[in-house]
Amino acid sequence: MLQIQDVIRAYLPAIVFVVLGIGLGAVFASLNSVLGPKPKHARRATAEPYESGLPSEVKKTMRFGISFYLVAMLFILFDIETIFLFPVAMQLKAFGTFALIEISVFIVLLFVAFIYVWRRGALEWK
Amino acid sequence: MTGLLAQATTKGPPINWEALSPFIALVAGGCIVLLVGLARSAFIRRQVVPVLTLLTLGATAGLGVWQWDINEGIVANAMVVDNLTLALTMIFVAGGIAAVFLSWRSIASAEAGEGEYYALMLMSILGMLVLVAANDLVVLFIGFELLSIPLYVLCATHMRREQSLESGLKYLIIGSVGSATLLYGLAMLYGAAGGTNYGDIAAVAAEMADDTLFMVGIGLVLAGLAFKASVAPFHQWTPDVYEGAPTPVTGFMAVATKAAAFGVIIRLFVGPLIDATTTWAPAFATLAVITIIVGNVGALGQSSLKRMLAYSSVAQAGYMIAGVVVTTQLGIAATVFYLAIYVVMNLAAFAVITARERETGLGDDISSLYGLGRDRPFLAWPMTIAMLALAGFPVTAGFFGKIYLINAAVNNGYGWLGVVIVVGSAISLAYYLRVVAAVWMREAPAASTSLSAVPIMAGGSPEGDEAAYAAGREPGADVGRVVSEDFGEPSIITSGPRISQPEVIFVAVFCALVTIAFGVYPEPLMDVARDAGEALQSLR
Amino acid sequence: MDLIWYLIVSALIFCIGAGGVLTRRNPLVVLLCLELMLNAANLALVAFARAHGDMGGQIFALMVMVVAACEVAVGLGLVVAIYRRRLPIDVDELRELQG
Repeated sequence: MLQIQDVIRAYLPAIVFVVLGIGLGAVFASLNSVLGPKPKHARRATAEPYESGLPSEVKKTMRFGISFYLVAMLFILFDIETIFLFPVAMQLKAFGTFALIEISVFIVLLFVAFIYVWRRGALEWK
Repeated sequence: MTGLLAQATTKGPPINWEALSPFIALVAGGCIVLLVGLARSAFIRRQVVPVLTLLTLGATAGLGVWQWDINEGIVANAMVVDNLTLALTMIFVAGGIAAVFLSWRSIASAEAGEGEYYALMLMSILGMLVLVAANDLVVLFIGFELLSIPLYVLCATHMRREQSLESGLKYLIIGSVGSATLLYGLAMLYGAAGGTNYGDIAAVAAEMADDTLFMVGIGLVLAGLAFKASVAPFHQWTPDVYEGAPTPVTGFMAVATKAAAFGVIIRLFVGPLIDATTTWAPAFATLAVITIIVGNVGALGQSSLKRMLAYSSVAQAGYMIAGVVVTTQLGIAATVFYLAIYVVMNLAAFAVITARERETGLGDDISSLYGLGRDRPFLAWPMTIAMLALAGFPVTAGFFGKIYLINAAVNNGYGWLGVVIVVGSAISLAYYLRVVAAVWMREAPAASTSLSAVPIMAGGSPEGDEAAYAAGREPGADVGRVVSEDFGEPSIITSGPRISQPEVIFVAVFCALVTIAFGVYPEPLMDVARDAGEALQSLR
Repeated sequence: MDLIWYLIVSALIFCIGAGGVLTRRNPLVVLLCLELMLNAANLALVAFARAHGDMGGQIFALMVMVVAACEVAVGLGLVVAIYRRRLPIDVDELRELQG
């Protein structure tokens, strides 16, 4: 006969995950309305169905702006770097603190790249 | 923090931090240079960033000297730091320092942003270090790409000149084909050996020498590395890319990449694949002959100095293969010796080309050297010495370089390869002496001797840009001004000692002096090369 | 399944990629074909790793993925730089949509 505590214990991670997920989502959604920029009058872009800078009606002559390529390239680079975390995760138990330090060095290097990209203005939408 | 580190080192893989220090210095220096390059102040960008780059390179060389004679595997045997690695490190650093001096006032570094330009250069040098220190196929590939990718960008840094961008893209595509070929070969070697460490490969090399998988792997690796070392018939990209890239980058690429490619060829083929010599040595010897012939014949008809030096570098690669094929310590020592003097000979030539490109606005055409002998002895002599050394004249280091290579070839049953080297050198006299003749026997064109105006507007031509920038003007600004002020005040470029560029002349003169010094007394350099050769203990 | 089939597929992909690089003119397609060549090697690496029961090949393949991404990013950057020199791309339409 299963005890109710056992059931709760078994599902505890899932419950924590769901609660955290909902909670964090709600916090960020509400933070956006508190901290986000408030234009005096609604701009055209915010009235668009997809508020992404992409026009929803596309004309035949439309070209993608250079910024799309730039952001896409930066995304690929920073995204793919997470691959390096997987082998470390596999060997985490064996290496312990060493793995932590190693990954910290790796993240610091990525951070240098990020600072560079940011200060160089590559993240500004032109 | 130290306690934490000590604890970490006990638990992690064995890492020899002291032997790793040259690598760490380059990484740290590269990051600092990149971030300092973001500064708004033009002084910091134009002066402090190159100085920081020089300091980083100096620190790397110093740490390398400190670790001399260490000879051990570091980072769980994935890399080996021995005298071969460190000797080649000195060569890379020398090439890097010269490239920094040549780039100091170049328009390419200003257009790309100084921080990026010099950080890319440092990262490329780091890749070369990793490549020649690699003792594992994964590290080899990482080093190979870390060396190549920054170079693709560096080739394209002269962004206002379409040729430069195109040479960058061309180099990227051909270089990537080379690295994909190399990678496929590495995959085959891994499949045959069952492990990525060189030790695993060495263990099976003797019994697998006739295995199809293993042979295909060796062939593909050979082709991939031949692309990078510009060994014929994989050399076709070399002249185009050398011509299109900014001259300081070309100089850097010509010397440092060549040294790195030969470093890894020695490390891999004369290392774990030594027991399969019968498989690869005939192929390599054939490539050497083809390369020497193609390079020397191709250089004959070139009027662009950079194209000529590109073909000449192909030919020199052919000479150096001879030192690798013989698989003796003597051969390796001769190759390292030749690489070292190859660096100084070529840098002297590229420094003169850089200087003349800025002064004349004629680009790298051979006519930019006309009349140099009378007007500019400090440029004429280095160019003459460099050309004579490349041809292998006595009293220059090039003479001893060739003697050692031929000696090594003859001593191990490759006498015919020695003969090919001699024949190749004889052909090469034709085009090297043509340059010497252009320096001393041709009169400068009338327009430049009289110092009268050769009006070239900045922005009008890339060469004019280079000259205008070196003279201390902003080329971009000039374009706007010229247009808005109704073509008033065009920038005037003259052929004469107007532009002060002491650092370029210093590089030229220094390299020429080193070439002569080692031509008279090669023993110190030969001792270093011998140490490097002895690092490969499995050889005779 | 036998190792040889993986190798055949990987060799085919490699040849398709190499053929594409040699024959196609569009730089974007050439970059795609380069990716094919690298990924063919990846397939071979992973197949060998499986056959030998060794993790080294899988780690190698992960490293190759990162390197391939870097190469393509640099390639795309150069292509964009060249195109930008030749035909200025009209971003006026997008400028209003910065919201």
